Amino acid sequence: MWDVDSAELALAIEHVRLNARPGDPQAFEEIMRLHEKQVLNTALRLLGNLEDAQDVAQEVFLRLYRNLHKIPDVQEMGSWLYRVTVNLCHDAHRQRGRRRAEPLDGPEPVSAGADPEVIFARVERSRVVEMGLATLPEKERAAVVLRDVQGLSTREVAEILGSSEVTVRSQICVARGKLKKFTDRYLRKRV
Amino acid sequence: MNCSNWEREIASEVESSELEVHLMACESCREFADELEMNRTALGSLTVDAAALDAVRRNVLGEIRRDRRRSWIWPLVAAACVAIVSAALVLTRLENPELPRPVEFAKAPQLVEWTVQPRPVQHRHAATVAQREPLVVKMLTNDPDVIIVWLIDQKGE
Repeated sequence: MWDVDSAELALAIEHVRLNARPGDPQAFEEIMRLHEKQVLNTALRLLGNLEDAQDVAQEVFLRLYRNLHKIPDVQEMGSWLYRVTVNLCHDAHRQRGRRRAEPLDGPEPVSAGADPEVIFARVERSRVVEMGLATLPEKERAAVVLRDVQGLSTREVAEILGSSEVTVRSQICVARGKLKKFTDRYLRKRV
Repeated sequence: MNCSNWEREIASEVESSELEVHLMACESCREFADELEMNRTALGSLTVDAAALDAVRRNVLGEIRRDRRRSWIWPLVAAACVAIVSAALVLTRLENPELPRPVEFAKAPQLVEWTVQPRPVQHRHAATVAQREPLVVKMLTNDPDVIIVWLIDQKGE
């Protein structure tokens, strides 16, 4: 179901979950290692700030620890983590908005004359796309992060965000269009 | 359908034979599709630093361990309090094996008679006699068989 090696991972998680003594930190660490990349990466792409993303990821795992017994199976755990991550990022976004409005800086338009090979290098595109993500409205960003960064299906994204598939497909379509315009703006100018 | 409509279809990942045909014919839409694909690949390659993951894990596990310590400290304190109180009760019992009987408050003795011999006046002999006779105070108690008689001699003893 998720981007990780699903069957093997599912077995590993189930094993840890069933054999872990209630509240055993060592067993929980195993579960964390299996999901931490998913949670922190999602939070980082949604918030665009590593420190805030780490705070959110920490809270997500503490909630998982306190609610582990309430999650019926492994499949649920993945979507549960995404759901909680998205919700906490939404809260963090609102708090941050009240606290300080950070201007989202795009990359400096690069000067003409540079090597086109370098311009379209994957690293550079990743950097620009990452900045482009920060310019998207929250819902569009959540949809495109879950779909394109995490590689979930539209149906899974819709379930996590509590929206219909049609809505999510539309949000992803719009977000991709905006991202393309953003990357065009900063990458095409170099040609 | 113009190219902007086709671009919407491409961005929505619609799969149709018409779109395939259009992509073969339209270079602009092909370029659009390639660009989207490059962006998708770039998004998919976004990862997080291992140090950032370690920091989160360390904090979470630290917090969990603190939680666990906190969770058994209070029951331990409560158990210690109960033990101390119990020990104190046991020690008290050992020192005084019999429980003290309830205290009965007797009624205060009732003064029923107060006899003072009148002091003879201006008679030397009589005064001497009077001086020899003691003052007598009689007190009745609850027990009719017990009467306290208090004699006080001339010296006040």
